[in-house]
Amino acid sequence: MAQNPYAADLKAPEAGRGIFRIYCAPCHGLKADGGRGPDLTLGTYTAGDSDDALHRVISRGVPGSEMPDFNERLGGDNIWKVVSYIRSAAKKDATLPKGNASGGEKIFWGKGGCGQCHQVGTRGGRVGPELTLAGRRRSLAYLRDSIIDPNKDITPGYYTIVVETSDGKRITGVQRGFDNFSAQLMDAKETYYSFWKTGVKSLKREFRSLMPAYDKTFSPSELDDVVAYLYSLRGN
Amino acid sequence: MRAFLIAILISAAAIGQSARDDWRSYGKNFAGWRYSELAEISTANIAQLRPQWIFQTGVNGKQETTPLVFNGMMYITAPSNHAFALDGATGRPVWHYQKQVPAGVNVCCGQVNRGFAAIGEKLFKVNLEATLVALDAKTGRQLWETTIDDIKKGFSATVAPLAVKNLVIVGIAGAEFGMRGFIDAYDANTGKRVWRFHTVAAPGQPGGDTWGGNSWERGGGSTWITGTYDPELNLTYWGTGNPGPDFFGDERPGDNLFTCSLVALDADTGKLKWHYQFTPHDVHDWDAVADPVLIDLNVGGKRVKAVVQANRNGYFYVLDRTNGKFLTAKSYTQVSWSDGIGGDGKPKLIANQDPTEDGNRACPGIGGGHNWTATTYSPQTGLYYFNTTDGCQLYYKTKQEYNEGMWYQGSTTAGFATEPSTGSVIAVDPATGNTKWRWEMVTAPTSGLLATAGGLLFGGDREGYLIAFDARTGKVVWKFQTGGVIIAPPVSYAMNGKQYIAVGAGAAILTFAVR
Repeated sequence: MAQNPYAADLKAPEAGRGIFRIYCAPCHGLKADGGRGPDLTLGTYTAGDSDDALHRVISRGVPGSEMPDFNERLGGDNIWKVVSYIRSAAKKDATLPKGNASGGEKIFWGKGGCGQCHQVGTRGGRVGPELTLAGRRRSLAYLRDSIIDPNKDITPGYYTIVVETSDGKRITGVQRGFDNFSAQLMDAKETYYSFWKTGVKSLKREFRSLMPAYDKTFSPSELDDVVAYLYSLRGN
Repeated sequence: MRAFLIAILISAAAIGQSARDDWRSYGKNFAGWRYSELAEISTANIAQLRPQWIFQTGVNGKQETTPLVFNGMMYITAPSNHAFALDGATGRPVWHYQKQVPAGVNVCCGQVNRGFAAIGEKLFKVNLEATLVALDAKTGRQLWETTIDDIKKGFSATVAPLAVKNLVIVGIAGAEFGMRGFIDAYDANTGKRVWRFHTVAAPGQPGGDTWGGNSWERGGGSTWITGTYDPELNLTYWGTGNPGPDFFGDERPGDNLFTCSLVALDADTGKLKWHYQFTPHDVHDWDAVADPVLIDLNVGGKRVKAVVQANRNGYFYVLDRTNGKFLTAKSYTQVSWSDGIGGDGKPKLIANQDPTEDGNRACPGIGGGHNWTATTYSPQTGLYYFNTTDGCQLYYKTKQEYNEGMWYQGSTTAGFATEPSTGSVIAVDPATGNTKWRWEMVTAPTSGLLATAGGLLFGGDREGYLIAFDARTGKVVWKFQTGGVIIAPPVSYAMNGKQYIAVGAGAAILTFAVR
């Protein structure tokens, strides 16, 4: 197993931080505490907890996920410095979900109706983003925010399209395609539409999510449970 | 003989002339107009425009080439050190050049290449590992290869060279890696370097006092977009890129000459005739590399030999190209960092627009304004066309240790999820910068532009549409879904009396004609 050559270098975390802010922060957050990408301050990582495992996952990326490979762009040496930074950013009192995942699972498929739009494994709807690996890909804070304030960050490609047809009908759906001349969308019932701009009265993209905010639907403990369930979705 | 006649024609001509049927250089003519005098394809018959052939390069990556077309052949470069000669009538490949990209080449923005230059039957292209290569246009055989500089220091090359007389002039990339930029000229026959102009002034040189300490040694100032040339003045005009580290300006106190500037160099010697700095002490990565286009204009009642540039910092500029004097500037997109450009040519700065540790909002975003994609001037409409990205970003700064050849950007930027940048294609009066028409796009545009004597303007979009506009009004008169992002500029040429439009899209080259 390869050792981090900078493990004892006190300057390495700072050098790694500079690189991290350019390449990693857009998904993992400026302080490495996650966002669209996983929280890296927990001291435990899906790819394995050794320096070697972290180096490998940064170099090669995670195929099939949004995590690209950085070997060509950064080179192995810089990646070790990033590893040093990630180590330095780990919190000793890492936050783990406090809710009950199996309770959250019941709410997700029951009261919350989340499965009408979201897919987990082979189950669920196709309108919203797939959540099969949500726990691996998103931080706890991000998952919580997504439920109570879906507009805080919108997964690219999941904006809202609103069309008014030439006979005055209003159709609202999730973006499937949107360009200078046309739009494709899917409504909440999974009906697919495609329109040319010239064939409708109006056609616009709104930078908001079609998902309702659940801050009033769920009690605080229900919210904790749903977050715990989503956090448990790691493809296991 | 034909090449000789064309050379005579070009050297004797007033600004803006070129061989009508061919496309022999990056900007079509020395002035960088990208204007085709061909008018077979016009606003009257544009509806009949249809694909003729499609060539799949099979090379992944961003296709940014300006195809050169002459002698019945099309010559294209492709990403990752590939190049092809294609039979003009059929699109079938005649030869293929490829050189393995060595390990250790650091590039900021993909293994791209923007095209060939040509002198007679010789073609010239740069390779990513900062070399310049000459090929025999007939066979693809390599005539020579010269190393421009050392990749270990962060250098790389992506620019389409500029052929002037018997010189091949090239720029360099790498300002995100702590290099010190330059513009070079090489002898077309031997590949030997004739001159070098450093875009970052050293202590003791004019401008050398605009860098704190030894920051000039890694001051950036890339020159990754092809310059233009005025044969009468014998000056070549090149835009220069950002200073390094991009966002951490504390490292380099001062104006940082000659970064984010336009430089006019004697084409024979590389000696600096004049410079104009658009963004002193840039901290937003607003390279000034956009096409410096040469147009003779009436500005304020006077006929001037002008050079215009749609700068990444959000302003369109008009300068006197004989002496670099600032004439006028006008913002063409949302600008938060300055309240106009003063009569002295200096920006009137607005406070608190610089990057911070926690992120500070400024407009335009990192890509500009208008970035590098090809612009076009139509003498028929008298309008200058370019695309714009309209939006703002958060700019961060981080103190960063310098390691030779490694990323040295001093942090990053971020967009806003609910406020993504959009863009437009705009037509401006080049004498004033006043916008004549604007066609808004749903995402920031990526493609270069082409104007033709058929009254048309061609461009593309990120979603794959090749689009024809009425050049006077901006009305869309034709479109075609190519299936790949369009970054490269369209070109036009005639072969056997028939006019074509060609463009790179995705990993393919497509051609179109009306019959």
